[in-house]
Amino acid sequence: MILKLLSKILREEKAFAHCDIPCGIYDPHNAQMAAHTIIRMTQFLSEIKREDETKAEHDITRITRVKEKHSNLLEEELDTLQNDYFKEEHFKDYPNLAELFKKTLKASTKARQNIDMQAAEEALAGAQDIAEIFFKTKNVEPVRVKSVYPTGGEIVTHK
Amino acid sequence: MLLKKLRIVGHSMEPTLRNRDLVLVSGIQYLFKKPKLNDIVVFEEENKILIKRIIKATEKGFFVAGDNKKDSLDSRKLGIIPKNKIIGKIIYAF
Repeated sequence: MILKLLSKILREEKAFAHCDIPCGIYDPHNAQMAAHTIIRMTQFLSEIKREDETKAEHDITRITRVKEKHSNLLEEELDTLQNDYFKEEHFKDYPNLAELFKKTLKASTKARQNIDMQAAEEALAGAQDIAEIFFKTKNVEPVRVKSVYPTGGEIVTHK
Repeated sequence: MLLKKLRIVGHSMEPTLRNRDLVLVSGIQYLFKKPKLNDIVVFEEENKILIKRIIKATEKGFFVAGDNKKDSLDSRKLGIIPKNKIIGKIIYAF
């Protein structure tokens, strides 16, 4: 009980459990792919038919599991970009970047906890905006191309 | 420092602590006694808070390493961590 209270009142900071490489290879593509998958799973959940209850429950379980997995994956990819790739100077050059990460992570959590298409779309939009900034920091021009996924929409890549 | 709430960033303490785990760290433990073998400690290094396990105590400080032996920085690169750099000990993982 006391520990739960402490977890609510103490300000959160970061502790880095750093890995040995680091490889220097970063790409915002996986975050976008995960976000598209969250949208797709949210679509499936909204379309579940209830004529056969057993099948419906079975399908809901499987689809929800995939949605959870990809929400966690999106958050992991964003963490890597935020904490390993982007440096202090990037956050100064793009003052909206920190808030963008916060907003996108929040949308991902909401999409994971609910069947919420708006939150899922906000998570993708955030991942796309972060991708644009990523490519700008690499001195390449970001472009939005039509995605080939059944979710439609776009993927941010570079020229 | 009495208490800190820390979010783990990275994989080098897996499987004990995973990326995005939340932990409570206390600085009180080490006011009256020394860090000891197997304690999971947090310390400052180049303006960041790092988290590792104490593998060995030496005269000059502590040899630390991550639990994820395949993918972790340890004191061979970080150096021996002197006691005055250690902020606290993990007392709870949420």
